[in-house]
Amino acid sequence: MAHLHDAERMGETPHWVPEDIIGNMTLKTLLFSHDYRHIAIKGILTSILMLGLGGLMALLFRTELAAPDIQFFGARPYMQLMTLHGMFMVFGFVIPFVISLNYYMMPKVLGTGRLLWAGAAQWSYWLLILAAVFLVIARPDFTWTFYPPMSLRVGGDLVFLGYLAVALVAVSEFLAGAVLMRNGWEAARRIGLGKLPLMGWGAISEGILLMGSTPILAVVGVTMLTDWMELTALFDPARGGSVVTFMYMFWFYGHPAVYLPLMPAIAVLYTLLPRFLGRPIWSHWSAVIAFSILTLLGFVVFPHHFQPAENVVGPLERATQILTLAIFIPSTLHVFNWISTLWSDRIPDSARRAIPFKFIVASIFFLMLGGVTAYVNAQIATDSDFVHNTYFVPAHFHAMFVGFMANMAMAGAYYLYPYFTGRMFSQRLANTHFWLWQIGIFSKVTLMYYLGFVYFPRWVVDYLPLQQWAVPQMLLTGAAYMIGLGFIFFVINFMWSATRGRTADADPWALSDDAVTSGATAHPAE
Amino acid sequence: MESALGLSGYQATMMIIVFVLLGIGIGALFLALFLPQRWKPKYWMEVAFVALLIGVVWYGDMRSTQVVNAYQGQMADAGVLDEPAIDGAEGFDRELKVIAFQWGFAFLTEDNKISRNAAVVKPGETILFRIFSNDVIHGFNIPAAGITAEFDPGKERDVWIRAPLEPGKYLIQCLNYCGVGHAQMKAWLVVEGPEDEAVDGEGSGA
Repeated sequence: MAHLHDAERMGETPHWVPEDIIGNMTLKTLLFSHDYRHIAIKGILTSILMLGLGGLMALLFRTELAAPDIQFFGARPYMQLMTLHGMFMVFGFVIPFVISLNYYMMPKVLGTGRLLWAGAAQWSYWLLILAAVFLVIARPDFTWTFYPPMSLRVGGDLVFLGYLAVALVAVSEFLAGAVLMRNGWEAARRIGLGKLPLMGWGAISEGILLMGSTPILAVVGVTMLTDWMELTALFDPARGGSVVTFMYMFWFYGHPAVYLPLMPAIAVLYTLLPRFLGRPIWSHWSAVIAFSILTLLGFVVFPHHFQPAENVVGPLERATQILTLAIFIPSTLHVFNWISTLWSDRIPDSARRAIPFKFIVASIFFLMLGGVTAYVNAQIATDSDFVHNTYFVPAHFHAMFVGFMANMAMAGAYYLYPYFTGRMFSQRLANTHFWLWQIGIFSKVTLMYYLGFVYFPRWVVDYLPLQQWAVPQMLLTGAAYMIGLGFIFFVINFMWSATRGRTADADPWALSDDAVTSGATAHPAE
Repeated sequence: MESALGLSGYQATMMIIVFVLLGIGIGALFLALFLPQRWKPKYWMEVAFVALLIGVVWYGDMRSTQVVNAYQGQMADAGVLDEPAIDGAEGFDRELKVIAFQWGFAFLTEDNKISRNAAVVKPGETILFRIFSNDVIHGFNIPAAGITAEFDPGKERDVWIRAPLEPGKYLIQCLNYCGVGHAQMKAWLVVEGPEDEAVDGEGSGA
């Protein structure tokens, strides 16, 4: 065997025997077991709960935004909902969900057999739970970027818990990064970088991003706390501090944070696509190059988040623009690779019917829809016009976070479902979930792009009754409800099928297209 | 309406590029899914596509830089960007000092008349805004002029626009979250018509 790559590992034989792992879990194993499947299932279930809570918050504030003027919430509760929504969705749902999928898959895909440093994964989980509890108690209204001096002055008496939560999230993510790095590196050491599956490359890239960026977030969280306590004055300009320092420190984490759910989601995609198609990824090394460039660029393009500020000028501004535009290239390498893999041979009927495969295809679609507008986001001239802090920005990141990463999270969850419940989910309910999500997400993202183009500002509870704002906002609220309804179908399906679903076959995702299974020739990775 | 950055042509070009690239991507995805013919792309095709993208990146960087340089050149010629900045810079029809605060804007004219939440100007004139925040980070966005700026407390930020030719009230809004009153942080660019000229001589506020 010349190459041990994903197709040969995933395409020929299933990873696990379907069994009712969840049904056999006790409270003790759920809380403290170091079995990789228990840790991953705990993370996935908690992420689904966070998705439900964050989504409920979104529906509440979207209901408020359906029409101009203030209907239900004042500005403060609205911003508390908005802040908690962002933090729950990013730190509580999408990042831990896709990392948990990696925890589940790595031991088999990378051949380590178990999750190395499982204790660190356990600590990572519990610290994140503690952070979520702190956030709920503090109910900060300062958005996930908590810019000083605003957040130092308007956060309320319990805001210190919000800063502690930020520091805890940083430690939690650092530990998760260490676990991914340890497992990816161990596999590379054992079988060599040349044979390392793409999930291993994803784990190493993610490990570098997490371990490189989170320490500075911890420093920012603690320093905000000491600034708030007036022990220090690093970020408060009224006391001699500098918001510019904050911007550079925060966004050094903040931009890689965008990639934290991206890398594991891409790794899952590279792992599952060959499994459903029964053939290898079109170009292994193109994917490795794309992972590497994306990781490097992830650390250097962060000033684009505050580009229309006076302090980002001259050569730094130009360099940031060029490097941000250059992100196009590794992203395109990934997309080109996936489409080429799809196109290079027949798509088996079993894949076309498989719900995870449908979510994978939708993810690729939304990565393009979200990624392509980065072309105007990156340019200083357009950023200084209709992009910066209008709805164009949330349109971009909702396409990426929800359209790509959340869809990939769902692909992974549906894929693993028979392996940890021993049963198949309802295809009809899953299809309903799929279509409600895709129509809802597409409507939401395109309406947000339009609203950004007509300068609708972010973070507002109330807005002027302009037709070009009010009508899309009403439709946008409808799209959000559609996504929420899809989530309800997903939860019902997961709960109902766990006890009443059809018993899963020995290989729940067996290829059922004879033309492929008998005629496939594995093209060696380039 | 002529925007300050002159984005209409450039902006349209960039959006066309976005739509073309998106069309290529989605078209290829659908063909890969539904076209009966199967086809394994050659590796050189990816290299060629990346080369095309490098060209697209180069073009975007060049055009954006041209637009920004032309915009900033107007201020540089007037000495606005000098350190320390020149007060009463030549080269603009009107200069307004803007004080941004939680949660509103105050406009101070060259002859020290102040108006809260309204900047009164004439059609088509060039206006230099010298913006200052005395509390937190704010944003300054005039959709009709296609300009957005973000500025830190304690540091002046300068932007200029060309006023709309059509008399009327045009929105000015904060685009950076600055506390719970952020949604209310709005002002108006009031472009006077000929009938308002008499009022202008006496100063006006809103």
